[in-house]
Amino acid sequence: MSEDASRETAQPYHWIGRNVTKPDALEKALGATEYVGDMVVPGMLHAKILWAGTPHAVIRNIDTREAARAPGVAAVLTAADVPGTNRYGLAVLDQRALADDKVRSAGDALALVAAEDEEAAEEAVAKIKVDLEPLRPILTYKDALDPDGPPIHEGGNVFQHTTVRKGDLEQGIAESDVIVEDSYHTHRMDHVPMEPEAGLAYVDPSGVLNILVGTQYPYRDRRQIAPALDLPMNKVRVVQAPIGGGFGRKDDITAEIHVGLLALKTRRPVRLVYTREESLIANTKRHPMAMSFRTGARADGRLTFLDGDIYGDTGAGISLGAYVIKKAGIHATGPYDVPNIRVDTYTLYTNNLVSGAMRGFGVMQAAVAHESQMDQLAHKLGMSPLEFRIKNCLKPGLASSTGQLMNEGCGIEATLQRIKDYMNARDLRFKRSQAAS
Amino acid sequence: MKQRYALRVNGGTRETEAEPHESLLDVLRENLRLTGSKKGCNEAECGSCTVLLDGRPVVSCLVLVPDAVDREIVTIEALAEDGEPHPVQRQMVEQGGVQCGYCTPGMIMSAYALLQENPDPTDEEIRFAISGNICRCTGYGKIVKAVRAAAEEMGNEGT
Repeated sequence: MSEDASRETAQPYHWIGRNVTKPDALEKALGATEYVGDMVVPGMLHAKILWAGTPHAVIRNIDTREAARAPGVAAVLTAADVPGTNRYGLAVLDQRALADDKVRSAGDALALVAAEDEEAAEEAVAKIKVDLEPLRPILTYKDALDPDGPPIHEGGNVFQHTTVRKGDLEQGIAESDVIVEDSYHTHRMDHVPMEPEAGLAYVDPSGVLNILVGTQYPYRDRRQIAPALDLPMNKVRVVQAPIGGGFGRKDDITAEIHVGLLALKTRRPVRLVYTREESLIANTKRHPMAMSFRTGARADGRLTFLDGDIYGDTGAGISLGAYVIKKAGIHATGPYDVPNIRVDTYTLYTNNLVSGAMRGFGVMQAAVAHESQMDQLAHKLGMSPLEFRIKNCLKPGLASSTGQLMNEGCGIEATLQRIKDYMNARDLRFKRSQAAS
Repeated sequence: MKQRYALRVNGGTRETEAEPHESLLDVLRENLRLTGSKKGCNEAECGSCTVLLDGRPVVSCLVLVPDAVDREIVTIEALAEDGEPHPVQRQMVEQGGVQCGYCTPGMIMSAYALLQENPDPTDEEIRFAISGNICRCTGYGKIVKAVRAAAEEMGNEGT
């Protein structure tokens, strides 16, 4: 094997390459770990949520009187019972703990019930009467871009427009011998962590609201919970409970504000455990994106330009959507050197379920488009898709779409060379076995 | 209406009151406080509630309490003996088969049931035995490795 300069040599690391036993693995294997849904505290109430179940509507009235009289019920709460701002969101405070003026997605919570057991809470939820006036739902990219469509939030349905510009697009097009134009759609995807969302809250004797939750970020949770419930920051303590998988979705608020509010109102510990169905309905997803790409190359196989648009459906809340979708634009050229670029991204509000962080954070969606383009271009040029990628991949000294210099390389060439070596060796083995037989 | 049930759980008899339509999983978790068996979906898709019923692995969310009467129920809590983890448990830890841990008890029960019946399974047999248990973290490779290592460890103990 040749010692190619681009093959970075592995440095000796302290931990990388070693087996490390996770400190909490044994208690998990014994079945002793208590996730929030396994926890029980004396006097604990059980919570259930009334979900909107419809994408867009004006809330005329929510009648909780009958539910409040149901046996075993300790509290039935709506937005009117929230003492603070009722708002939360990782980047923009555009989500409501409990829907107030409007329903913006089927996963909006309309009311909360705390009762002596889950069945009583469920029965009470069924007794809440809701009067909704349906609005035209914004469900597609086209709906969201329609200037006559009803705005989901103040400020319209196009939340953010970002651009990536590099080189001279017209020149890149003029230099191209082949051009591929296509559009790609990726779907909404759930992380499906094995543990459905859960929270347990209680007010301790010093008046601090304690919230146990399998979260990815307790301090950012606290910064969202305190103002939503009108508490000073030092009166909210978020305890990181064991987390049964997150993959990005537990970055966002899940059960925190709901159990916190119920504990404040009832002065009793309250536990809320989502069913799998609720987890699928109510929590963040991977952003669906619609991408239109035009990509060119010269006859010698060098990429010349990318001209593209990316539309991301963030649902009824931004969560981290503006960053995810912007990132898809930044990564629209993938790990390849493209001298001339025009990419525009649009973060769109819709009445679909909220999308947020998920492993890969927008890069995966872009990869669907740029890798499909690479295959199509290689086919048109009559080149091997692998050689085409090796020729165009970022190498030390080259810059990314946004001008970041790859001063220590970025590993892609070494990776592709390894794949090539592997495939060549496999082909050789196959040929030898054919010859032998 | 609630009825009394005597369940043979983990070598003892536990008396409890439950509605006849309640699942074995709910009774184990809520009434008997055996919360090692997890509720990941409550509809027999994920396997995180797997327990043994007369030696066979079952998803306990789909077993009604009356159907578990007079049968031998074994849960994850009973696998360790005198504080010593079962080889499957130990190898899941050592081979890195545990990440978030939520699927782990059900996964271990399926693997344990397999090794009771087949002490020297192939990787394919291991994969088939845990095919009803979903894991979202590991990609299964290290779990299969752990079950194989446990089989080897148990084989060595026997000789």
